[in-house]
Amino acid sequence: MLKFILRRTLIMIPQLFLLSLIVFVLAKAMPGDAITGAFAGDPNATEERKEELREKFGLNDPWYEQYGRWIGNAVQGDFGSSYMYKQPVTTLLAGKVGNTVLLALFTLIITYIIAIPLGIVAGRWTDTWADKLIVTYNYFSFATPLFVFSLLMLFLFSFILGWFPIGGSVDIKIEEGTWDYIVSKMEHLFLPVMSGALLATFGTIQYLRNDIIDTKLKDFVKTARAKGVPERKVYTKHILRNSLLPIAAFLGYEIAGLIGGSIFIESIFSYPGLGQLFLTSIGARDFTVVTALVMILGTATIIGTMLSDIILSIVDPRIRVE
Amino acid sequence: MVKKKLMMLVSLMLVLSVFLAACGKDKEKVEGVEKEKPGSEKIEEVEKTEEPSFPVDVSNKDAVLEDGELVYGLVSSDPFKGTLSPVFYQDAYDAELLRFFAEDLLAVDGDYLITNDGAATYDISDENKTITIKIKDGVKWHDGEPVKASDLLYSYEIMGHPDYTGMRFDFPTTNIKGMTAYHQGKADTISGITISDDDKTIAIAFETASPSILSGVWTAPTPRHYLGDVTKGEITMEELESSDKIRTKPIGFGPYKVVKVVSGESVLYERFDDYWGGKPNLKSVVLKVVNSASVLEALKKGEVDIAKFPTDQYLNAKDADQFELLGRLGLSYTYIGFNLGEWDKKNKINIMDSKAKLADKRVRQAMWHAMDNEVVGKEMYHGLRIPATTLITPAISFRDDENKGRSYDPEKAKALLDEAGFVDVNGDGIREDAEGKEFVLNFLTMSGGEVAEPLAKWYMQNWEEIGLKVVLLDGRLHELQAFYDMLETGRPDIDIFQGAWKTGSDPDPSGIHGRESVSNFSHYTSEKNDELLAAGVSEQAFDVDYRKDIYNQWQAMMVEDVSLAPTLYRYDLEAVSKRVVNYSIDPGSPNYAPWMWGVTK
Repeated sequence: MLKFILRRTLIMIPQLFLLSLIVFVLAKAMPGDAITGAFAGDPNATEERKEELREKFGLNDPWYEQYGRWIGNAVQGDFGSSYMYKQPVTTLLAGKVGNTVLLALFTLIITYIIAIPLGIVAGRWTDTWADKLIVTYNYFSFATPLFVFSLLMLFLFSFILGWFPIGGSVDIKIEEGTWDYIVSKMEHLFLPVMSGALLATFGTIQYLRNDIIDTKLKDFVKTARAKGVPERKVYTKHILRNSLLPIAAFLGYEIAGLIGGSIFIESIFSYPGLGQLFLTSIGARDFTVVTALVMILGTATIIGTMLSDIILSIVDPRIRVE
Repeated sequence: MVKKKLMMLVSLMLVLSVFLAACGKDKEKVEGVEKEKPGSEKIEEVEKTEEPSFPVDVSNKDAVLEDGELVYGLVSSDPFKGTLSPVFYQDAYDAELLRFFAEDLLAVDGDYLITNDGAATYDISDENKTITIKIKDGVKWHDGEPVKASDLLYSYEIMGHPDYTGMRFDFPTTNIKGMTAYHQGKADTISGITISDDDKTIAIAFETASPSILSGVWTAPTPRHYLGDVTKGEITMEELESSDKIRTKPIGFGPYKVVKVVSGESVLYERFDDYWGGKPNLKSVVLKVVNSASVLEALKKGEVDIAKFPTDQYLNAKDADQFELLGRLGLSYTYIGFNLGEWDKKNKINIMDSKAKLADKRVRQAMWHAMDNEVVGKEMYHGLRIPATTLITPAISFRDDENKGRSYDPEKAKALLDEAGFVDVNGDGIREDAEGKEFVLNFLTMSGGEVAEPLAKWYMQNWEEIGLKVVLLDGRLHELQAFYDMLETGRPDIDIFQGAWKTGSDPDPSGIHGRESVSNFSHYTSEKNDELLAAGVSEQAFDVDYRKDIYNQWQAMMVEDVSLAPTLYRYDLEAVSKRVVNYSIDPGSPNYAPWMWGVTK
């Protein structure tokens, strides 16, 4: 097992290097740079000033020199400075990553809390009204755009019912570190998390339901039934353990997806996180931020898939056979 | 099992119908736009609709509630950047944050010209080359320290510093005596700036006299004692830029002080009791980011009192009871530009090409006459944009109101083209050029917003009606960055382009139209243009009437030569709750200053 993890970790290093190279080259290939980004449409900016700044930031050097400089600093944990935010990228990201992780983590937990029981019910009692209800919900959640759904949630629960705040991550007037502060954070998290989670369930429900239906007909289940294992136990011990496999496998991807995929939610609930930052920095050609963010997302994906593999190899001994 | 399949089918159809409904709606939209072809009926109907007019002051005249609180909505889909220092901030959102706690020492009037009503007074001497600014007594930073002349000097020392990478190092700051030497690191001090012994008066000498200092002189000080001194090596520029003292704990000398910043989402301000102008009316102000998709509801619900209102939601907001809309023609205009030459990168000047496709000005004049901007303003922007007449915006009084530009007149346009020899030779309904060759123009325009594409199509139809064939460059719209990149690197196959300029408060147009300006995307040059632009910023132009006359001549020349055809002026809207009092969006009004703002309940 240790060997497996170690090997996976070692493979990560060239993967990340390759990723960084591709990201960097692609970013440079976009029209414009941070200077055109900042000065776009500003008639007061003179050509001399822009050239002076480009020279200062080394933007006129060939890309491989820029890449060499960047990767050299990056391995030491220095991702450069954001032109748009006038801040080291690490400081900038550190301020937002907490919010995003919090949002992603709660969304993931709630997604599983909703999806797993629903998937099991739908799979076990196929064709009952409960199953039909769940399947219908599943199609709706699959088809509803996140943007529309979040707005709907916001209007219903914040504006009409007034149960939750309209945006932000915390009430500014509440003293930090108090109990009220935590409560306020949770209140602000609730709607964004629910909006994300209610729509994110479809994959899990669908996989779980299908897998249970499949597994139900497998020989070992028949054997178990023939041996006289009680129906409850057939499900909990025999079927579920098998059917949860694909869910476990997808856990890693889900994490990576949630960190990158919260752009709409963050925007609508004015929740300052990484997703929004990603979009704005691409628009402004703030390359240092873009590359750092892609590296973070890439790392999250790679670690996520590794996590999935590890979980799989724990629950499914067949995978460990090499 | 059959039953289940049926159920699935029903669900599937349900889902599909949602999709189809969505598609159908889109299609209708496109058709709706196409219906707006200039059929005569449609135009008649348009002319009946009233043009909206907006107040600039709130109607509420009740007494101010003592110790009230106001919620200011920052309308944005992104978190704010929070670079809370006048010399370092970059975008307009941070400017909104700064307004509550940081100020310029000199106030401005309705024409954005400096006055003596602010925290300092000024005097111009030495053949208009030197401005002396005297800070009034009792002007204090939020930590109680007095605002000193050397604090203003510090702003100049930062902006001119070799390590400074921000956007504020521009004219007229670059025109200060000794600034170049200081900027290149050859001098430790800026020789043109002197401070009086009592540290209350600062004299700034410029290389040349220019009336631009009346609207463009930098007067926002930077608290040297609080931030640390980069010139003495107490702190590096990079440390200063990212310091908490300009991010979460900034100070200024404005009416409200920053109590707390939640990064990217909200700011809490509190009344500054020692404010030089008087006692601010509000006890506290909360500023928070509101997404443009929910700002209307937030205003209706009273969650937000003031917000810059997104104009595309105007129709849903104009009859709301809870708030009123204030509006004012802003400092920007939209234009159609004509590519007339190229930017000589080596010599850094624009070169006009007499053989350019659009070198004949009659063709450009015709294209301006062909655009029906009345309909665009009323139909696509619900009256929030009006046809533009000249290249100076109506927000400043230097625009020539007598000059009517070129109104919609397709017949005149056709006549101009005939005169220029652009006639249809082969009978396909499309005009050929003066030599009888095929004449097709490539049109570069920006994406963004729902209106961008229909608008481009509308103009292309307008031009087709006078017999000119215009196609979109690469067959599509281009995103903002790519748009400016293409214009700056000078793609030769761009013939016409649509963009917008926000001009700033100085009427001097040389930043956009000068021979040496990289932003002169038309590459239009002429001797008369050079002369007029120079005269507009000469010492003589300190006389406002003289300057107005020069700019009137310039505007008339540009209506004749048409390097850019201005298309639309735009209203900026602000939504203000009915409980807000003493609030104005007119920079000339005393209620424009945040310390006057109040609430009545």
